[in-house]
Formats: sequence, C-alpha cells, structure tokens
Amino acid sequence: MHYLSKSLGATTSLGRRGAIAALMSSALVAGLGSQAFAETIAKEDMVMVVSVINTTNPYMISNIEGAKALSAALDIPLEIVNSDNSSQTGISNIMAILASGKKPIMFVNTVASSDAPTIVNAVEQAGGYVTIWWNKPDDFKPQDEGDHFVAFQKIPGISSGRCGAQAIGDALGGKGNVVMLPGVQDSTTSQTRVAGFKAEMAEKYPGITILEERPSNWDPQLGARNAQDLIVKYGSDINGVWSADDGMQIGAMQSFENAGMLDSVKFASDGLYPTTIDDIKSGRGNNAIVGETFHRGYMASAVGLYTAYLAATGAIVPSELPPEKRDSLFALSCVNPGNIAEYLQYDEPDAPAKFVERLLVSGPWATEPMPLVGGGPEVMP
Amino acid sequence: MSMTLRNHDNEDRMAGSQSLRHFLNTHKAPISLVLSMLVLFMIFAFLNPRFASVQNLQNVLFQISVPLIIVVGTTMVIQMGSIDLSVQGVMGASGMAWILLSPNSRIAMDTAFWAWPVAIGIGTFLGLMSGVVYAKLRVPSFVVSLGTWYVGLGIAIMLYGNDLLPSLTDKGLARWPTRLTLGLPNSFWLAAAVVLAGVLVANYTRLGRGLLAIGNNEAVARSTGIPVTRYKIVAFVIAGTLSGIAGILATMQLGSGSPDIGYGQLFTVIPAAVIGGTALSGGEGGVMRSALGVVLLIVLNNGLVLAGVDPDYQQAVFGSILIVTIVAVAWPQRGRLKVAK
Repeated sequence: MHYLSKSLGATTSLGRRGAIAALMSSALVAGLGSQAFAETIAKEDMVMVVSVINTTNPYMISNIEGAKALSAALDIPLEIVNSDNSSQTGISNIMAILASGKKPIMFVNTVASSDAPTIVNAVEQAGGYVTIWWNKPDDFKPQDEGDHFVAFQKIPGISSGRCGAQAIGDALGGKGNVVMLPGVQDSTTSQTRVAGFKAEMAEKYPGITILEERPSNWDPQLGARNAQDLIVKYGSDINGVWSADDGMQIGAMQSFENAGMLDSVKFASDGLYPTTIDDIKSGRGNNAIVGETFHRGYMASAVGLYTAYLAATGAIVPSELPPEKRDSLFALSCVNPGNIAEYLQYDEPDAPAKFVERLLVSGPWATEPMPLVGGGPEVMP
Repeated sequence: MSMTLRNHDNEDRMAGSQSLRHFLNTHKAPISLVLSMLVLFMIFAFLNPRFASVQNLQNVLFQISVPLIIVVGTTMVIQMGSIDLSVQGVMGASGMAWILLSPNSRIAMDTAFWAWPVAIGIGTFLGLMSGVVYAKLRVPSFVVSLGTWYVGLGIAIMLYGNDLLPSLTDKGLARWPTRLTLGLPNSFWLAAAVVLAGVLVANYTRLGRGLLAIGNNEAVARSTGIPVTRYKIVAFVIAGTLSGIAGILATMQLGSGSPDIGYGQLFTVIPAAVIGGTALSGGEGGVMRSALGVVLLIVLNNGLVLAGVDPDYQQAVFGSILIVTIVAVAWPQRGRLKVAK
C-alpha cells in the first residue's frame, strides 16, 4: 500500500502518458492484472465529488473539509453537492455533475438508505467510482454491484451506543434511571446506536432502568422540547440522559439547566461537537457530560474519496478486495473527561490536511485514529 | 297567565340565545375549538395527573411562545388570501445575526446593543422584500416567500460559516425566556404581548379590517378606497418582523445559534391557523383563533408524551386525534361551510 501510494503521488508531476505508464507499472508491480489497467482513469479526467445531506450540520461541514483537503493533496478539482435534506435534490444534483463528462470520484453521505442504488447505477453508467457512507439498504452490497460501487463505509453505531451506556452506567454507579433521545426513528444510524445502548445497559448495568425513549429527529429544538416534557413527567427520577447525537444533547442540556437539574443529571452522546468539548473542559453543570464518542466527518470523506480514487486509478481492484474492505466498519473512540486531551489535536485548523497526509501514506484502512475494524453489515445485539 | 309567562320565557330564552349567537359571531369566538380542547385536556389530565400540574403549564407556555409569535403574522397574511412560507429562513437569519452580535462563544465583541435592532431589522427587511415583490410585481406570494425562505437560510448559512457552533455566554440572556414573572415564563409574556397587539390590530384598526376585505374580494376592497398594495406590503413586513423576533427567542431558548433554528415551525403555524378557522382562501379567521390552534397542536404533543404513548405510534395517534378534533370543531358550522378544498 505504502509503495502504491508513493507511486501514485509521483504521477502529479508527470504528463498524461507518463501518468498512465506510472500507474500501469505500479499496478503490475502490485500484481493487480490487466483488468485494473483497463479501468484506469487519467487524473485530468477526474472530478472529485463530495455529496452531503446539508451544509448546516457541523458533521456535514467537516465532510466537506476532508474532501477539500484530499482534493488539494491530489490536485483534483472538487465539486460539492448539497442535498438540502432531500433525496430528490441530492440525486438530481449528482446527475447534473455526472452529465458533465468528467469521471467522478465520489463520496456520498446519503440522505436515505434507498438513495444508494440509484446513485450507484448512475455513477456506474458515467464510468465513475463511488464510496457511500452511513446509509444503504443492508441487502444492497458493493460485492454484488461491480467495481464502480467501490465500498460502503461507516462507523459502527452499536459501539457508539455502548460507549454512551458505559459512561452513564459507571457515572451512576450502576443504579438509577435514564431517558433516551434517539435521532430520526427509521435511520439505521440511530437504530444501531439505540440498540448498542440498550444492549450494554441490559448486559452490564441491570440496576439501571430506561424510563423512556423519545425520538428527536437529530433536532436540537425537538431534543429540548422532549427533554422538557420528560422533566415534567419524571422530575428528579431522571439520573441520566443519552442522546444519539450532540445536537439533541445540546438542546436537552439547556432544558435541564433551565429546570435547575443540570448539576444532578449525567449526559452522554455521540459526536464530540466543539460546544461539547467546551462543556467537558469547563465542567459545566457539575461535570454533566460523562461520555462521548469521537469520529470526524473530514476523516470519513477523506477515507471514502481516497478509496474510490484508488479504484479509479487502478491501484486497487474492488472485486479482488476482501469483504471487510468493501462493506467496512471503522474504529470509533470512546471519549470521557479523562482522555479528551488526546483528541483535541484532531480539531486544530490543519487537522484535515495532516490526516490526509497520513492517509496517503497508510492507505484508507490503516490511518489512525480511524482504522478499519471489521466488516458490515452491523449485527444487532 | 301561565301561557303568557311561558311565552315570555321563550322570548327571553330566544333573545338570550340570539344575543349569545350575536356575541359569538361578532367576536368570532371558536367555542367548539375551546370545548374540544377542554375535553382533550381532561383526558390527558386523567391519563397522567402531572399533565395538569403548574410545572407542565409553565412548560407548555414556554413551548408555545415561539409559534404564537409567528402565527400572528402568518394569520394576517393568510387572511388576505396570501401565504408566507419564509418563516424558517427568516428565523434562521435573524437568530444567527442576533447571537453573533450578542455575547457568544465564537466572537468576543461587545455589540449586544446592536444585536436586537440588526436582527429584527433583517426580519423586517426580508418581509419588506417579499411584500414589495408580491404586491408591486404581482408575483404569487407562495413563490416569493419560498424564495425569501432560501434567501434567509442563505444569510443564516453564510453567518454560520464553517466555524464553531455559537452558544450564548451570557447566562442571563440564556435564562431570560424561562425565568418566571408572575408565575409565567418570560417567553410567554412576550408572545402574549404580540398576540394581544395582533388582536388589537386585527379588530380595531383599518389595516386589520382592510386585510380581511382584501381576502374577501380584492377588487371590491380596492374600489372602496382601501390602499390594497400598501396593506399587502405592511402585512408581509409585520410577518417578517415577527419571524425575526421568533428567531431571536428560539435562539435564546436553545442557548445556541443554528441556521435551522426555525426547523418545523412552518408546519406548526400554518395548520394551527387553519385549525383555528382561518381559511387559506382568505377573508376569514382571526389571530386569537390561530393562537388557540397553536395551543392545541403543542398541547397534543405534550399530552401524548406525558400519557406515555409509544414513540412508534405517536405520529399516527397525533394525526388521528387531530382529525377527530377538527371534525368536532367544524361540526356546528358544517351547514354554513363552503365547499371544502
């Protein structure tokens, strides 16, 4: 991998013919055979595309940052697709770019699972390569779809839920009551996180009761409203609050603060937003936040795009990869007030560029802090 | 004698019922809506006594304040037969502008004084823009306000940028909406003042009556000397300004800024206005009725959570109860109703 990356990096200074020759030799050295060469796309014919659900969510903005960093490092122009929370908008914007004639190297953060087949078909027809992140139907597998659907990648939601449960379970000493704020109810991401949380609680913390769960659609305002209603309903019986992402947790914490209960309730969630980092560092609400998970949007998009890029250049042949590199689960880190300092480096302004530097050396499956940990689909506990 | 007395009684009763009907008609009191809500409240209180607690009353009043402020403007616009879809975009723009000028975690600047006029001004300006394009250039309000929605959202996203989520660092400001004055949350007092002003404008000013007249028949309204174009623009300016104020209040309530701060509000306030009896075709309805519609929608959601309805069924139960309530509300008027569209 290391060798391949280096030889690919070298192609930037060569002309088109030279680039193809370099790619061919690297492909041959790697023993990837003639099929790889047949599908190779020259760099000047490529366009990098990052497709995100919206441009207001910090995670999506981070997706775009990662794509920009990789686009700069590989010297390939970048197009940004904003789906504006609508599958239809996302798909039609992608179609417009596909019609431009360039060969797309794509990262798609799908709005809904059902978008994946349509996008994959269109990319295949345009001769591009796509990696899909987070959502796809379980039975729609890259292995069955040919080389243009390079990979499906995600961070396991079950581990995220388990992180949160451990943090709250330990903070409450294994006893007490918690309420849950899942995201959009039919989202796989939310469902797996919820399942992980419940499983961990049931297995390790039998003394903790889950009072109720109120899906809050990833919306801070709805998170705040539901938290208010739950405060009225259960009052001081609530000892812990788990949210499927930090956005909803920000809303919920405000409600508990307004009710004068922030000091006596523990919170855990997913995402480690900047606001959350500030709250952990300042110890807001008697150290109210006890657990978080760390993963970054820029890492997801950079890894996804780089995987697609390697397929486009012929450096990897998707159909020859083991299943876990087609349907992949990447590492998630559990964060708590004790180890948060280790993760602050990944939010420095130059962090995306540094991550991309390491990515080009280590390849998409072995870059810290997000190496490949297994193959999907996730098995519900 | 007894006959005479009985007749007299009947006359009295008839006169009484007529005057009651007259009162209801002139004040457009949505008695059936109020009754339906009372029945609903009793059921919820029976299912969970905490529903009727003071704490929950404060909770509900806190939750209804943002949509109450918006619905005043929405109603005025709908009454004249138009629609304002820009609510969420305007809220995002004003909310972001306000928090970035107030003490916040992103920028350390003391510009708090300017936060209010600038943020509300953005709402007013966006409303003015919709109103002028709609009234002067005669573009359908549906399209104009949809455009304004995206202009507002665009401003909000530009202000948001790629930087940190801004959160309020002034705890006094963040707590203001929940703090109680005379037992009720401040945010509700603000909303109540807006609703009261809306009722006064609608019932006791030329503008209020003019908007209804425009909704009934614009040509007739124009021929009677009502300055139709000006009134149309003013209605959108009021709606934009109120959306701006609502964006600020929502930002304060959340303690953080977000371009999506108005998410979902449009689908609370427009149904609320219609449930209250404001016809989308214009010429009917009132601010007070729409306000009751908002209360119904928010209480329904709150009651279902307190009653412990499983989240898997909550949406379906919410919709079903809503339909039953609306049928009950519309039942007494079914004879007079025009063709439902």
